[in-house]
Amino acid sequence: MNHSAYGIPISWFLTVGALLFCIGLFGMMVRRSAIGMLISIELMLNAANLNLVAFGSYLRQPTIAGQVFAIFVITLAAAEAAIGLAIIINIYRLELHIEADKITSMKL
Amino acid sequence: MAILGFEITGYQIAFVVLAGITLGSAALVVLMPNIMRAALFLGLTLLGVAGLYVLMNAAFLAAVQVMIYVGAVTTMIILAIFLSHRLMQVGFAQAIHNPVFAFAAAGVMFIFLFITVANSLWVRDICAPGPANTDVGVHAVANALLQPYVFPFELASVVLLVALVGAVVIAKEDRPGEP
Repeated sequence: MNHSAYGIPISWFLTVGALLFCIGLFGMMVRRSAIGMLISIELMLNAANLNLVAFGSYLRQPTIAGQVFAIFVITLAAAEAAIGLAIIINIYRLELHIEADKITSMKL
Repeated sequence: MAILGFEITGYQIAFVVLAGITLGSAALVVLMPNIMRAALFLGLTLLGVAGLYVLMNAAFLAAVQVMIYVGAVTTMIILAIFLSHRLMQVGFAQAIHNPVFAFAAAGVMFIFLFITVANSLWVRDICAPGPANTDVGVHAVANALLQPYVFPFELASVVLLVALVGAVVIAKEDRPGEP
């Protein structure tokens, strides 16, 4: 595959990444449920990964570092989701809801 | 293949289809009132992103994405929804709060990002017109993970262990009389 036959410049991928990030940002502000916010965070992390991989493979001296960083991000996102969901389940047990702006049991 | 005078490659068609799946289902993820459906559309979004990875010659990363994100994270989110929402309740819905302000903020953010991408010199000067044609299979990823990035790799395994133990400890129910 030579470059001219491919026909997708890097800015297409970067634009999709930017749109995905902004959709995640929108979801983060719109949702009140803690799980909804966590889902939006996953969208934003994926947008960042898309940019990392795009730069890694489109540079004139291509580097594997983009993919390696993306793998680390995926690993940490999985850990973050596990911890976040454990906390959410625990909060649900205490308060019987997970509305992020009504959780006030740590207020003085 | 030429459509309306434009030269269109198969890669471009694949890109448009995959980007459409990704962005359309991502929009549904944030707009669905029912959180369960939002989680299911999250799986579709992540599959679309995996397809975009394949278009960038990152097939191994696409496999990782499908296994970890679609297979594990989405499943975990759906299980957490089962445990924390009364899904069968009549009229169960998650309201969308302040969509106008949120849309304005996200739109401004996107405009800035788009201007940056469209005008920046570094995108034009240091990037090739297509993805690298080098063989970036499992071998290259494994060499990179175990030679220059071995310390972050080991650190990530420790982080995963701590996160697993922490998740079990946090989610465990406290019953009186148990240690």
